[in-house]
Amino acid sequence: MFEKILIANRGEIAVRIIKTARRMGIATVAVHSDADAASLAVSMADEAVRIGPAAATLSYLDAEAVIAAAKATGAQAVHPGYGFLSERAAFAERLAAEGIVFIGPNPRAIEAMGDKIESKRFAAAAKVSTVPGSLDVISGTAHAVKVAEVIGYPVMMKASAGGGGKGMRIAWTRAEVEEGFTAAQAEARGAFGDDRVFIEKFVSEPRHIEIQVLGDRHGHVVHLNERECSIQRRHQKVIEEAPSPFVTPAMRAAMGAQAVALAKAVDYDSAGTVEFIVDADRRFYFLEMNTRLQVEHPVTELTTGLDLVEQMIRVAAGEPLSFGQEDVRLDGWAVESRIYAEDPYRGFLPSIGRLSRYAPPPEGTYDGVVVRNDTGVGEGDDISVHYDPMIAKLCTWAETRDAALDGMARALDGFRIEGPANNILFLSAVVDEARFRSGKISTAYIAETWPDGFHGLEPTAFQADAMTAAALAMQRLQGLRNGNGKAFRSDWVVSVGTIKRPLQVRVDGAALEIAIPGERRTLRLDGIDWRPGGALFRGVLDGKAFGASVAPAAEGFQIRMRAATARVLALSPRSSELHERLPPRKPKDRSNRLVSPMPGVIVALHVVPGQAVKAGETVAVIEAMKMQNMVRAERDGTAATVDVAVGDSVAADQVLATLA
Amino acid sequence: MQKILEELEKRRARARLGGGEKRIAAQHAKGKLTARERIDLLLDEGSFEEFDIFVEHRAHDFGMADQRIPGDGVVTGWGTIGGRTVFVFSKDFTVFGGSLSGAHAQKIVKVQRQAMKVGAPLIGLFDAGGARIQEGVESLAGYADIFLENTLASGVIPQISVIMGPCAGGDVYSPAITDFIFMVRDTSYMYVTGPDVVKAVTGETVTHEDLGGASIHCVKSGVADGAFDNDLEALSQVRRLIEFLPASNREKAPARKSFDEPDREEPSLDTLVPLDNDRPYDIKELILKVVDEADFFEISAEYAKNIVCGFGRMDGETAGFVANQPMALAGVLDMDASRKAARFVRFCDAFNIPIVTFVDVPGFMPGTRQEYGGLIKHGAKLLYAYAEATVPKVTLITRKAYGGAYDVMSSKHLRGDINYAWPTAEIAVMGAKGAVEIIFRADAADPEKLKAREAEYRDRFANPFVAASLGYIDDVILPHETRRRIARALKSLKSKELTNPWKKHGNIPL
Repeated sequence: MFEKILIANRGEIAVRIIKTARRMGIATVAVHSDADAASLAVSMADEAVRIGPAAATLSYLDAEAVIAAAKATGAQAVHPGYGFLSERAAFAERLAAEGIVFIGPNPRAIEAMGDKIESKRFAAAAKVSTVPGSLDVISGTAHAVKVAEVIGYPVMMKASAGGGGKGMRIAWTRAEVEEGFTAAQAEARGAFGDDRVFIEKFVSEPRHIEIQVLGDRHGHVVHLNERECSIQRRHQKVIEEAPSPFVTPAMRAAMGAQAVALAKAVDYDSAGTVEFIVDADRRFYFLEMNTRLQVEHPVTELTTGLDLVEQMIRVAAGEPLSFGQEDVRLDGWAVESRIYAEDPYRGFLPSIGRLSRYAPPPEGTYDGVVVRNDTGVGEGDDISVHYDPMIAKLCTWAETRDAALDGMARALDGFRIEGPANNILFLSAVVDEARFRSGKISTAYIAETWPDGFHGLEPTAFQADAMTAAALAMQRLQGLRNGNGKAFRSDWVVSVGTIKRPLQVRVDGAALEIAIPGERRTLRLDGIDWRPGGALFRGVLDGKAFGASVAPAAEGFQIRMRAATARVLALSPRSSELHERLPPRKPKDRSNRLVSPMPGVIVALHVVPGQAVKAGETVAVIEAMKMQNMVRAERDGTAATVDVAVGDSVAADQVLATLA
Repeated sequence: MQKILEELEKRRARARLGGGEKRIAAQHAKGKLTARERIDLLLDEGSFEEFDIFVEHRAHDFGMADQRIPGDGVVTGWGTIGGRTVFVFSKDFTVFGGSLSGAHAQKIVKVQRQAMKVGAPLIGLFDAGGARIQEGVESLAGYADIFLENTLASGVIPQISVIMGPCAGGDVYSPAITDFIFMVRDTSYMYVTGPDVVKAVTGETVTHEDLGGASIHCVKSGVADGAFDNDLEALSQVRRLIEFLPASNREKAPARKSFDEPDREEPSLDTLVPLDNDRPYDIKELILKVVDEADFFEISAEYAKNIVCGFGRMDGETAGFVANQPMALAGVLDMDASRKAARFVRFCDAFNIPIVTFVDVPGFMPGTRQEYGGLIKHGAKLLYAYAEATVPKVTLITRKAYGGAYDVMSSKHLRGDINYAWPTAEIAVMGAKGAVEIIFRADAADPEKLKAREAEYRDRFANPFVAASLGYIDDVILPHETRRRIARALKSLKSKELTNPWKKHGNIPL
């Protein structure tokens, strides 16, 4: 076994690998860019080596710098994690030439499977059914259009070296191919240093289900069941689970057998993933093989009891697999939620900034639910523009899918992040949503469930009651603290968003009895756990425990439960009457202002002052996190001002241009 | 007797109706509450006691003899906020457009004097058209009487003005003298002369909003100290502000039980200051992590953002916070920031509120705009305010404290009581690059040499130790222990006694 390994990665996966290595008694070396000098991974590793400035191309993608670090520290092996150098055959070869072991598959397997065009040729030769598409690299926009017309729309343009949804674009029309192809190429170049793009038929209503395989250097290959990864936004996975609610035992065996056969055909000798597209009739098509550890590997670990990083290290060290296919378990159900720094209210655009508050729920086992949180950050760390905006991977495991999802919902409730925008609210919405709960999902789930974008949820009846009770309890405790709440009044009117109810409140020891005369029922709030200034309110309403995030608002409280957020006011009847006298204000029409949806750099401007602009026309292109985003005019008009220039850094909501 | 009681109730009901139901409906349609409704929301329920409900104007000219409405366009009296007495007047736009007559002015003067006698805050709610032109000079005299009382009360009781509708001409100067002005967005504006006069005199066409809305006074002119979305939020936030303030300069700021441990540690503050010393960071994160329960009432949040001022509590007791904001103009001191902070420091000093200052300042803003605008005198205001302040002063230098700005920002030399620095503090006459270019002018042609000199200068001064060795810094503290250290420092200063030499008043460089 190795005595020291180097982790050629950053963030949560670096931390994840260090944890296993440490458990195995292997010393660890972290490499880091200037931006990560004080990261959690660096602080956990036994040694750390700086390999360059913040930009990934000059640090984590610099193979020679990584190799130099390995040689300097005497690391015997390198674990590449995912992304960066993990699927570069040349890197694996260079390591081999230096006598350093690559903790991953052999370079020939990477070459055969890592490149999406190569892998398709390979799969076709091996008679694996694949989705119709071009196996040729597309030379330019004209070629792209020609190929797309032959295959038929919709088509998908994919970066050859891509993965994880980066450099993928769907085009439904010829015009979208023409508009998007160059951008797809540019993204591919920026993200992978390789601008080869190919085109294939886009299968609508598909599920994305993948099989985890594991091989050793003695010819053994097993599969570790499937992962369901259909919950995606912008072609990037957000929630994954194992097993899939759609896969039958027979189908699992068939998919597994194909995956193993494919892996064996390339002498696959590490952990890898064979991705399939599955249609409504349970037909599955080989999509691609990822020759690395996947982001979502924890759900496989939680249901099989295996440590995939440990297995990768063992096989890389030459150990044969210690178990056979028949030993592979499938216990219970595991779910992973990817906590991203992104704004679900703005089409999931990435967000950046300092994590001024970061408090994940505690890991461990609670009432039969295992909570695991893989993260590479702590409070005070920056989510920077240089890297993927993932903050953490929150996983739960339980005996059943519903129990695992209930556990996930509770764990998300206990996750507190302030600073960058984040998707916790959105994840909460998915986890509780009826269609998702039923398991009838596809990769179009998010777009179909929230066709006009996600705008949060309205409180349910229970949530509205709980918010009402919480607001009254907080009002009382604040009054007591300020010394003027000795006699808590009995007549109240509480509004939760637009719902407004007159109430009769009675203090009963530490509990509140809240009568709702209009509905002829009474609520009882017990177990109040909150102190003035607290961000989390816990209570028991009519015997049901609940938690809510609370914050003071300009008037009253802002309360969140699950995916529902509401302004909650506890008012006296007189105050309530006065509130009703003010008509709600109409929001100002701001469609004349074109604003940046996210922080980034202006890479193109298609408008000058005085120019006529049509609704839907692209006015500016902003690049951030290697993604290009078009800013389009919301209505027809004439550009009155253009407030930025190409190359400018812009903040979210910054005005780029105004229309007259 | 019964008849008199009936008559009394009839008269009261008549007075409460103000300008009548039609005008009240119009007021609501504009998104505004009436004068009495506002008072109901501002004060604890049932606590309002009205003065002078039956007062009417005394004018006879221009048909005014036939138009009399009891109360005469302003509702005055007193009540409580959180159980503490406050005095209030609220202009009634439904009665003669809230315009000011001699009788109307006398009502206001009465509550002003009462507030002074008692030593309780005075809150004015403005929504009025200006002078009652029909009354001529009597109206002007009334204004002056109010201004005089405002001036005499300044520094004795907190005075707060909320602009909730028009506030023009003579009406603007009473708020202008008070301690804080708040505005309601979109429905309030204040200016000396309105758009019509502006058009006639200068030919300039401008809207009410662009001349004197909240978007002007809370952002550009700095005349007002905060804007709220509607009457409800404005009144709710004024209640919140009152809870931070003492009733008068004879009292200490109110203390309340804190549920926030005074020795709470904040490990993330250790990484607040970026490694690259030109990179900005948000000083408000420090304030929010230091104060009790992250409860901070910011003053003038949208104006001169390069300095942050506001009230928080440390272990239950109010403190004023002044902090350079690296996120805006690198936290530089310019005319606006100097004026904003100077006024805030003087308010705290007048009302026995300790001042906590967080320093990260690269210096004063250079440029002709600043110099022509009188930066020297504006900067001197802040210098003067800190120098004369006798309340407890605790200072923390987080990063840059360069040049004259170091002196100004509550330095030891201006009687700072306890001056701390984080290890990242750099106390120097200027940044290393600029300093080296002057000291080693001879080496200007040799960038290599200059670079070495720069590193030398940085090694010498880019740390808190030189200042600490001279005693200008009392201790170098770790960021994560900032709350505990400041809370302890303030506690140790509770019994501080310091008086300035007797004078009629100083002559602050206005």
